[in-house]
Amino acid sequence: MPSRPKKIRVVIGKVGLDPHDRGVLVLTRILRDAGMEVIYLGRAGTAESVVRAAIDEDVDVIALSDHCGVMVQIAADVIEETRKQGAEDIAIVAGGFIEEKDIPVLEDMGVTGNFTSGTPFQDIVDHVRKVAAKD
Amino acid sequence: MTVQNKRTTDRIDKVTTLSGIPVQPCYGPADVDQDRYEQDLGDPGQFPFTRGIFPGMYRNRLWLKSQIACYCRPEETNRAFKKFIANGQTGIRILADTTTHSSVDPDHPLGRYSLASNGNPTFAITEYREMLADIPLEEFDVEIACALAGGSFWSYLFVVALMEERGQDISQLRGTNINDPIHAAIVYDCPEFTDNQWELARKLNLDLIEFSARHTPKWFPCTPCGYDMRDSGLDAFQELAFCLGNAIQYYGDAIRERGMRLDDFKPMVFSQSIESDFFEAVAKFRALRRMWARIAKERLGSTDPRSMACRIGARISGNTIGYTEKPINHTSRVTMQCLAAVMGGAQSIDSAAIDEAFGLPSEEARIFGLDTQHIIAHESGVPLVADPLGGSYYVESLTNEIEAGTLKLLDEIDSIGGMWECLKTGWLLQQFNTTAMKLQTEIDEGRRLIVGVNAYRGPDGPISKTIRESAYCVPPVEVRREAIDRVQKLRETRDQGKTVEALTEMFHAEKGGENVVREGIDACKAYATVGELVGVLRMAHGFPYDHYLTIPTPDYLRHLEKQSA
Repeated sequence: MPSRPKKIRVVIGKVGLDPHDRGVLVLTRILRDAGMEVIYLGRAGTAESVVRAAIDEDVDVIALSDHCGVMVQIAADVIEETRKQGAEDIAIVAGGFIEEKDIPVLEDMGVTGNFTSGTPFQDIVDHVRKVAAKD
Repeated sequence: MTVQNKRTTDRIDKVTTLSGIPVQPCYGPADVDQDRYEQDLGDPGQFPFTRGIFPGMYRNRLWLKSQIACYCRPEETNRAFKKFIANGQTGIRILADTTTHSSVDPDHPLGRYSLASNGNPTFAITEYREMLADIPLEEFDVEIACALAGGSFWSYLFVVALMEERGQDISQLRGTNINDPIHAAIVYDCPEFTDNQWELARKLNLDLIEFSARHTPKWFPCTPCGYDMRDSGLDAFQELAFCLGNAIQYYGDAIRERGMRLDDFKPMVFSQSIESDFFEAVAKFRALRRMWARIAKERLGSTDPRSMACRIGARISGNTIGYTEKPINHTSRVTMQCLAAVMGGAQSIDSAAIDEAFGLPSEEARIFGLDTQHIIAHESGVPLVADPLGGSYYVESLTNEIEAGTLKLLDEIDSIGGMWECLKTGWLLQQFNTTAMKLQTEIDEGRRLIVGVNAYRGPDGPISKTIRESAYCVPPVEVRREAIDRVQKLRETRDQGKTVEALTEMFHAEKGGENVVREGIDACKAYATVGELVGVLRMAHGFPYDHYLTIPTPDYLRHLEKQSA
């Protein structure tokens, strides 16, 4: 009997105190509507807690959101945690307010997507599917 | 290669307003009730103020030109304020960085990412001194842009404390405070005061309204914020209904619970988003004035026409000047929206900034925003006549439509039991969740065209590139960490006994259920920090000191808690 294809699992995390979470609330719905399992961890997370949740939930993708212009700082800490906790195989994507000069820096760190405001929903869905398929 | 004429695609498909009101190709006398001029419109300056709140409107007083200037450091912010004042800014709008705005001090472990981002870390009176140095507060409208429940509360304490420290008469303090904890809870979530069904948020909201009415009578202590809610994806009906619903809730509570009358307060100010739909924006402002006038009179018992005339603080919608191609086009958007605000009779305009999607606005972008307003004020001739679109069949019909849709929502809010109940039952969240995706879906599907997003796309030229690169970026971590040294130095050098004494007074006042604003101001003058003020208020209710459950309770508070148990 053919097994049902495994659903893509995504954890969405906000590290630090950025209060803007309307974007991730919408994103949660879009990814769910696209057939993914999505766990939004809420605001005020730490790099450690986001990575731990990603491992516990056995996700394919960690999606980070920030509107303080400090995604590089957040991503560096999250990547460090994936190393510490042995979860380097989980893809990391980012979105929110990202300064243009930071986008290539994030790409070099292995953080992809880097979606800014107004990105069409479908672009985000396609990208998450693409990075999830890589494992 | 042959070029293709775009004539076939360059046409209008969308025949509804931004909020989905169907629009006819033409309007005429049959679309408005011409016999109700006195009841529904009235001359400018007359009930129900649909046409404006002053008879001469802008001939008597131009709108307030007010913008946030909050960069990474207090001295940098101070320099920017002075530059903007020299360029004709008439209001001072202050905002804390995201860490402080979250009601924690710069050295809170969770605060390091957002430190000095979106503003400067105004964690104590020392920072306000520097940020507002040489700026005579009594000569400007001071607007507190801190929207979170905690931030709205302590920003007022610090501003009043600074005036008292300078030996000035606080009764001369003019300006506005958002102090709208329901909108804050829904848009931002504010864990500082959410415990026990927002009990503390509700109490402090009323404390501020009451204290301000008695001691800073020229201050608007609570200005329901439609702007942030609208920018979170609501439509015009929801923006108006939740704004009015919040005003009814807060001022109704103040009347019932604090024994005050609506006429004891300064007139109402509503903060509104302008948005890209020109006529809908104008009609929305007109409908808001009419609706508030009736609510104030019929529902909240006002007998003073001044209390029935609401002021409107308008801001360019941040959603419309986002991260798009060709940001040069944002200059058109800013101009159109400023013009709509003036046509709609706004009292204060924040022209946002053409580069705000790429960082904090550069000083030049801010000055461009001011100049746009100066051009409208002095070159366009538009402000010479009050309510210049009054009597337009279309605008009058749209004003009626917006009012009718908003009234329907207000009835629903009433049937739930007011806005606090709407928040607690989750109804409000549901409202956000259902509309937030609508607009983006319309854009994604190409049913609504946005230039540079889903239509007329193209590469940036040198002007757009420069706009993109001119925004103020978050400074390096080393610079941002200066605030941690500053707060630690403050705690080491202040008279700790005096600080603890003032905070103890505040603790007892809050525990005794008294209005705690006076004690809060005194604690600010005794160098209490934001984290301490909020922690002490929380402890007085038996909530954990740190709303992020990360840092321990200070010893003096543990001791105090034991004593008073």
